Amino acid sequence: MSKWWVGGMAAVLCAGAFAAASPPEDAGVMTITARYTQNVPTGIDDPIWQRVAQAQVPVSGRLEMAGVRGMVSTRALYTDRDLHFLLSWEDPTRSVTKGSWQYDGQKWVHLAGDEDRIALLFEIQRIQHFSSRSCAVVCHSPADLPREKWSLATKSPVEKGDLWHWKAARSDPYGYADDGWLTVAGNPSGSYRETGRRNDAGNGGDVKNETPDGSRPLYMQDPARRPSVPGFLLREEAVPILDYSRFKAGDVIPYRLPVKPDGSRFDVKAASRYAEGRWTVMLSRRLNTGREDDVVFDPRKRFSFAIAVFDDTGGDHSKTTRSLVLVFKR
Amino acid sequence: MSEVQVHAAGQRPSAAAAREGCGRLLRVRVPADAICWHRFFGALQLALIGLLFLTGVLMALAYTPVPGTAYDSVDYFQFSLPFGDVVRGVHHYAWNLLLVVMALHLLRALVLGAYKAPRQPVWVSGVLFLLVIPLFIITGDLLPWDQKGYWSTQVRFSIIASVPLVGDFLVQLLRGGPLTGIVALTRCYVLHILLLPGVLLLLIGLHMYFLATRGLSGPPAGEAAARPQVPFLPTIANRWLAVFLASAIGLGLAARLWPAPLGDPADPTDSSFIPRPEWWVLALNQLVAIFKGPFMVIGSAIIPGALIFLLAALPFLDRSPERRPSKRRGVLLGAAVVLAAWAVLSVMGYVEHFVQPEP
Repeated sequence: MSKWWVGGMAAVLCAGAFAAASPPEDAGVMTITARYTQNVPTGIDDPIWQRVAQAQVPVSGRLEMAGVRGMVSTRALYTDRDLHFLLSWEDPTRSVTKGSWQYDGQKWVHLAGDEDRIALLFEIQRIQHFSSRSCAVVCHSPADLPREKWSLATKSPVEKGDLWHWKAARSDPYGYADDGWLTVAGNPSGSYRETGRRNDAGNGGDVKNETPDGSRPLYMQDPARRPSVPGFLLREEAVPILDYSRFKAGDVIPYRLPVKPDGSRFDVKAASRYAEGRWTVMLSRRLNTGREDDVVFDPRKRFSFAIAVFDDTGGDHSKTTRSLVLVFKR
Repeated sequence: MSEVQVHAAGQRPSAAAAREGCGRLLRVRVPADAICWHRFFGALQLALIGLLFLTGVLMALAYTPVPGTAYDSVDYFQFSLPFGDVVRGVHHYAWNLLLVVMALHLLRALVLGAYKAPRQPVWVSGVLFLLVIPLFIITGDLLPWDQKGYWSTQVRFSIIASVPLVGDFLVQLLRGGPLTGIVALTRCYVLHILLLPGVLLLLIGLHMYFLATRGLSGPPAGEAAARPQVPFLPTIANRWLAVFLASAIGLGLAARLWPAPLGDPADPTDSSFIPRPEWWVLALNQLVAIFKGPFMVIGSAIIPGALIFLLAALPFLDRSPERRPSKRRGVLLGAAVVLAAWAVLSVMGYVEHFVQPEP
């Protein structure tokens, strides 16, 4: 009798411990689970991605895009060193024009069209209510600016975000997502007056390819070098245009020249593909870069984040997710 | 300063009393099966309470009971301080396990008829734990100031408020205002670390006193027979220490492998957050869900209150000296029916909250 009793009780104790060990997720916040793997995914087509459950994350438009909805298929993996995301979303057109110059035979004009992008925002230091209200709480330009001009910024300097910004025309040619961080707007003043976005330390981003009067491009592809990324003009491969008469009507020169990234700004590596009306982007970053301008991913913790998708636009207006949370599971 | 009185023998009275007390303790002998491999729930319960006290004190050293910083202090404690995750995890798993062990302890006493004369006060004081331990959990849930704790507390406040006559008053007393904010957090904190531990220590003392004066229950069929005795010190104390160490190591490992949950920071304006009930309140939640509107009080207070009352009154309702389970089928059948109903309600609650998709 006592053996059965003890056995039964041990089973109940184990069941109780199991119940306590696996707390259920609560409703209200969508959870993205990063699964542990020992093998680093080699790219978008690595079969390891097929072993990870895909979360369909709804995104919906803001401001003039209100009512526009979509889905971002999201997968996440982590190793002992890195975190990887595989993001895929519908986009009817591949937009990488970003206002490229076109010569019409008489003058240079900007082509219509902008750029597709995707951005992820995490918390480096807690952003009040970000975990429940997502990007809505990071729109805090100085109070003297009209509300419609408010841009991405936190409310107080103790709040700090980590912004990964993949840009089809400006960061993708170098295979990275521009790594920045988010703080209050207006400090320092000048170009930072209306936004809290800051670049991480290091080089990257892009430069505008235009003459001081803004009437025509300043640079062209170095004729002595083959373009390493066809269709794009990298700043390091550009040379000043000395003779504009060499161009004929219809010639196109990119307007934004990606700058070779390095340092903390180059922390988030990216691989991408556009096919069958979809972008698929893989982002990878070290769990801990050791830099103050990056979120530290401790696999024991959960991380609030948000995703925004931009379709052929250069502005802040996008389709964004509601609150998401990233958890790590072995 | 008062003059120090010295005993005729040259000893201070307090030292003599201490020496005499130790001597008495050393001479105490208890049944050998007070703590043994098939009877350890009471010892385990005490070990878990000890662990809860210890880990609670350690966490209190880093905790700030203010809504703006409470979450960050818990986050810092768990993820930035050395072994913070283990300490908080042990606290988390200890109370979960305590509920299970407490229920098993009572069940064992019920099945073996240990509540019968002369041990009625032992039983009643044990049942009272059922009222105090959940209060610890209710007040402790709010302290991390995360979404789950905050909104679970809101749900509990609304359930407490449904209790006739005293419900609203109790909620006002706990919350200290119309909103759950800094006053509620402070009151829950004080209750959790000061007042409730005091009540719990008192209950433990009472339970032990009644155990010492009324005796441990023996086997149902042969209680009158002489049982082997062992000294309390060191035999039983060592066994208890073994239980304590085993549970500390086990829970410590569990805490390291599966960190205690800490949700997102509480956002009192985010009413879209729907907290899901924890395993131990699934049945209670389902009762509340069955009796809706003006009848809510039946599920929230009358049925649980009646069950606790029946449980406490059991020794006075079942007065026969017979302890053998086979001869007490009526009581055991009643208990089985209640347990089965509880299990069914829990399963229903689980299905409703965790299996069925959200609307």
